[in-house]
Amino acid sequence: MKNLLDRNLKAYIIYALVVFLSSVPAYFLIMDFIWRSELHEHNEIVAFRAKERFKRLANDPAALHRSIETWNSIQPEAAIMPVNAMDEDSVYTIYREIRLAGHEELDRFHGLITYFIVGDQAFRITIETNIEESYETIAAITAVTAVFFFLLLGGFLLLNKKLSRRLWAPFHETVGKLEAYDLKSQTQILLPETNIIEFEALQAGIRKLISGNIAAYREQREFTENASHELQTPLAIVQSKLDLFLQTDGLTEAQSGIIEEANHSLSRVSRINRNLVLLAKIDNGQFAAEELLELLPVTRELSQEMEDFLAEKHIHLVLDAHSRGAVTGNRALVEIMLTNLFMNAIRHSPYESEIRISIFDNMIEVANSGTQPLPEDKLFKRFSAAAVHSTGTGLGLAIVRQVSLLYGWQVGYRFSDGMHRFTVGFAGGSET
Amino acid sequence: MKLLVIEDEKELANDIVSYLADYTCEIAANYTQALEKVEIYTYDCILLDLTLPGGDGLRLLNVLKREKRNDGVIIISARNAIEDKIIGLTNGADDYIGKPFHLPELAARIYSVIRRKQFSNSNILDLNEMRVDLLSRKVFVAGAEVLLTKKELDLLLYFIGNKNKVISKGALAEHLSGDMADMFDSHAFVYAHIKNLKRKLIEAGYGNYLKNVYGTGYKWEI
Repeated sequence: MKNLLDRNLKAYIIYALVVFLSSVPAYFLIMDFIWRSELHEHNEIVAFRAKERFKRLANDPAALHRSIETWNSIQPEAAIMPVNAMDEDSVYTIYREIRLAGHEELDRFHGLITYFIVGDQAFRITIETNIEESYETIAAITAVTAVFFFLLLGGFLLLNKKLSRRLWAPFHETVGKLEAYDLKSQTQILLPETNIIEFEALQAGIRKLISGNIAAYREQREFTENASHELQTPLAIVQSKLDLFLQTDGLTEAQSGIIEEANHSLSRVSRINRNLVLLAKIDNGQFAAEELLELLPVTRELSQEMEDFLAEKHIHLVLDAHSRGAVTGNRALVEIMLTNLFMNAIRHSPYESEIRISIFDNMIEVANSGTQPLPEDKLFKRFSAAAVHSTGTGLGLAIVRQVSLLYGWQVGYRFSDGMHRFTVGFAGGSET
Repeated sequence: MKLLVIEDEKELANDIVSYLADYTCEIAANYTQALEKVEIYTYDCILLDLTLPGGDGLRLLNVLKREKRNDGVIIISARNAIEDKIIGLTNGADDYIGKPFHLPELAARIYSVIRRKQFSNSNILDLNEMRVDLLSRKVFVAGAEVLLTKKELDLLLYFIGNKNKVISKGALAEHLSGDMADMFDSHAFVYAHIKNLKRKLIEAGYGNYLKNVYGTGYKWEI
């Protein structure tokens, strides 16, 4: 993942590099052109002056001859040679090795060849001036360009860092607020003020989304309440009708059996409804009150309530306490969660078997005998009980998972040593 | 004994009244009616639905509390939430029962609330040759104490509150173990407790008043 501004910066830097690189030949060509035209002018001036001097000696051939010899001995490269005829001026650039201060080096020269007549003799004069070597020029330009490029690069990086901190401050603050926001609070989010159009648009979007969510959340809560009321009242009527019907004189045993069966299914429907409402309430975070409680006494209390069911199936309950198992949570929810885990174990245990409840510092495990592993992925989902059982609501383990999610606990299942082992890990919960 | 049933669902109110035929019952179907009745008469027990047309049932509870009334109040509500239960009980209700409920369960609770309210010092019940001390939770037959487990005593009181009524095994199972009852197909444990209760009472010399009806229910005939 990359910072947005860094992404921009990379493009800018590449563009700057291309511009700077192409500026090097451009500078060189311009400088070389200026050099050459200046030196050409210089050569022409020198040649003109020399011509004038020599022309003054037209009446004294001996002096002229002496002067030319002296000139040629002092400046061998700018030799004056007698020629047969005049010609057009010409220029040239040449690299020549010269010996200077003991070491040889390659130098560039710009030369002018021009002609003049003294008396009736035509002469050719060559004027050469040292010109800066092109490779040296290029090296110098490149060096200066590089220096400026790195200055620009450093500036970009520094500015980018500073700007990104300042420019994106409202953005980062907004993200932080969003992360900390809890829909349960039912209040609009407080976002930082900004005068940047894009951020304002983002914040307006967020505010709109959140007020929509708040309304939806409220509606869901109301729906939960209404649904439970609407369903439970007719259920109550059916229940009371059945109870009254049972009082009718002269009922046959078969009729009373039908009532009992209807009763049984009715109580199951009621319980599914109650559990759905409970799940919705957990989803909505409507169990706010939390306290520090210990699993061991709660488990003892629940196992007493379960003793009828244990006795009925001749199940031996072993409570294996390595700790008192302190956790923080809503007492009612923790009790519901444990009840569901225990009842699940009892319900799926064979007759005359053993259920082992182990309590550790940060974990509780409920193990019951079984023959083969259960499909773990389906186990904790609503209405997808692994084993179809006529009395279950298909919500028991879903509630266990939902309570765990609420408090950040980890539910787990594994099958080992012929036992189904359901665990709830309280890592992150409090310790004694 | 006078009861007020505050319930907007007519069917349910009528069923409650016909089951509780031993009591004189009045019905209020909305908040205003309920307030009128409560202000004019006193009742041994008021059954109060919380979600009423015209006002929240909790407000009525506050009226009773303000006037320091001694009427027993049992909240019957579809709002099964634990918070509602706690709010109701801390606001002066004597009991709370969530919809749907078994009528015998309601009758047993009404019986218990009325006994608690009216006989707060000595609460002795005489049923033929049996005497039940509700305060110390002891049972005597012909002067000798019969040792009952907590669940057997619970069952006995449940039957006493539902004299001459047929009670289904399911209702008994739910009474004994609440929400856990319907997780199981068989209610064999109910049978075991009833068998023990019957045996202990008969052994102490009490008549066989607890009858098995239609093979699925029980009836306390007295």
